[in-house]
Amino acid sequence: MRLLTKTTLYFLLAMVPLLVAAGYLLFRLYSTQINEQADKELVYEEAQWLQYLETATADGTNFILRSPDLLIYPTQDPPTAYPELSNTSGTKARASVQIPYRQLAHVVNVNGITYQIVIRKSQEQKLALVTNITSILLLVFAGLFGATLLFNWVINKRIWRPFQASLQKVRHLELQKIEGIRFEETNIKEFNELNATLNTMVQKIQSDYLNMKEFTENIAHEMQTPLAVALSKLELLLQDRNLNDAQLGTIAQATEALSRLSKLNQSLLLLAKIENHQFEGTETISLAATTQKYLRLFDEMIKDKKLSVEMHVESDFTAMLHLFLADSLVSNLLGNAIKYNFNGGKINIRINNKEYCLSNTSNLLAIDAQDLFQRFHASQIGTDPSTGLGLAIAKRIADTSHLSISYQYDDGFHRFCIRHV
Amino acid sequence: MSMKLLIIEDEPALRESMQTYLEQQGFVCEAVSEFRAGLQKVRQYNYDCVIIDINLPYGSGLDIVKELKAIEAKAGIIITSARTSLEDKLAGLELGSDDYLTKPFHLSELSARIQAIIRRRNFSGSKAISFHEIRLEPDAQRVSVHNKGLDLTEKEYRLLEYFIANQRRVLTKAAIATHVWGDEYEQVSNYDFIYTHIKNLRKKLIDAGAADYIKTVHGVGYRFTDN
Repeated sequence: MRLLTKTTLYFLLAMVPLLVAAGYLLFRLYSTQINEQADKELVYEEAQWLQYLETATADGTNFILRSPDLLIYPTQDPPTAYPELSNTSGTKARASVQIPYRQLAHVVNVNGITYQIVIRKSQEQKLALVTNITSILLLVFAGLFGATLLFNWVINKRIWRPFQASLQKVRHLELQKIEGIRFEETNIKEFNELNATLNTMVQKIQSDYLNMKEFTENIAHEMQTPLAVALSKLELLLQDRNLNDAQLGTIAQATEALSRLSKLNQSLLLLAKIENHQFEGTETISLAATTQKYLRLFDEMIKDKKLSVEMHVESDFTAMLHLFLADSLVSNLLGNAIKYNFNGGKINIRINNKEYCLSNTSNLLAIDAQDLFQRFHASQIGTDPSTGLGLAIAKRIADTSHLSISYQYDDGFHRFCIRHV
Repeated sequence: MSMKLLIIEDEPALRESMQTYLEQQGFVCEAVSEFRAGLQKVRQYNYDCVIIDINLPYGSGLDIVKELKAIEAKAGIIITSARTSLEDKLAGLELGSDDYLTKPFHLSELSARIQAIIRRRNFSGSKAISFHEIRLEPDAQRVSVHNKGLDLTEKEYRLLEYFIANQRRVLTKAAIATHVWGDEYEQVSNYDFIYTHIKNLRKKLIDAGAADYIKTVHGVGYRFTDN
């Protein structure tokens, strides 16, 4: 429910008792006026009757008059000083509906005889008054309702515009582009507070992002430097003429393990950088060309394993990718296709503008596609030196570049396909 | 005439390794550990090649590159950095450094690169590399043994050049593979293909009348040596 709808609803709910109270007060006011008018008439009428009674009973006769609206008869009650005015109700002649009456009752002594005088006046208009007030108030309520709806619509369009603008900005916020984001000042206090908070938040995110980037770079520096020291010492040690073959072999193994560690470190950093969106796709890359490049680079390994490579390019598959990521993506997939292949195996590459598919033979059986792209999955299946991060990197590159990567095993071929999302 | 190098590197152990290895290769090396000392050295003396780490105490190695360019020094420049970011690499090369090495690197690779740079910048003298009866002309990629031309493939040429640049040193297969075939070859399951190329090179050299300089270091790699 919209905030405005909600406040409007509460507002309208609050209006109901107010309107009822207003109706009651109106009724009371008009009713009092009507009574005063009636009272005047009643008192005047009584005075007329008293005058008439005075002359009519001057000779000492009793006088009795009984009609629906007027009663005059002798009574034993003591006379009252003033006429008593009250509201009563009764039925009108030939009608069964109860209607309100204003009534005057007075006991007076006329020419030595005590009379009870009761005069009443129909106040049928009071019934109409209730109906009128109710319908007017209902009309007011309907008017209010309509007006608020209209205002809502207008307000929503006008006043909430800065809010919508801020919302839109937040929605399209990108970490790499966060630097220039400012939430402008508006003429509404609440929005200003919101925008000020958003500005602070954006600045915080930006500085955190920069810190993290710096931290990532620093890890690389801090870890690569000791590795470089150790590797250089081992390389120097290799030059010692007094070492025997076994000792040299040991040094070579230590060297290999350390360079694997260094490679692992670089891959983890690359993964972190990709996840931080630090590589922005700025150019359209041809995956066919990239593949050609890596086929040339990997030529020695392909020849060494006597692999037959078949590349079929129907039309080029292009994507907006950072050059570095395109290289990384292709080299990881092609590198795996070579690494996990057997001697004399096959690599098939099929490219068209919809998909880029690379399939290869392997001694490995079908792999569960679910966790194939997880980090360090490969290290559990192969005996080759591998960081186990290659496919995880390929997946992240695809995820951040509006591409999808899928795996399929059929008829002895492991196939990886890249498509546009 | 021995070549003079300046190493600017803040990590003492790495600095010593570089200095030791390069001195063994016949270079005269000076080494400093921080920015100001480095700046002072390049202003005062002439070097054939300067190896500069980007992250230094008191300043950036890139500013030393700028200074070298400003004073029009003749020295070749190699930047080393633990950072792998492409921007750093490009910034270094744009400022006029001749090469860029990411840590960790093989000392043999550093040595080969320094020699290649010095050769490239030596406009007046001969650029040929000699090792006894073997002579390499890098510009033409021509090789001769006893002044008779020898036909080598591109990979064989690169192998030989790398061997001579790191003569008498033990070179691991990984170092050889990455130098000749590229960084992608740092981690491969087997280096048998290197053996094939080296076998061919060795045969060609011996057939041309050269001594058998390529020695196998079992389980490690190779050594190109005359003793």
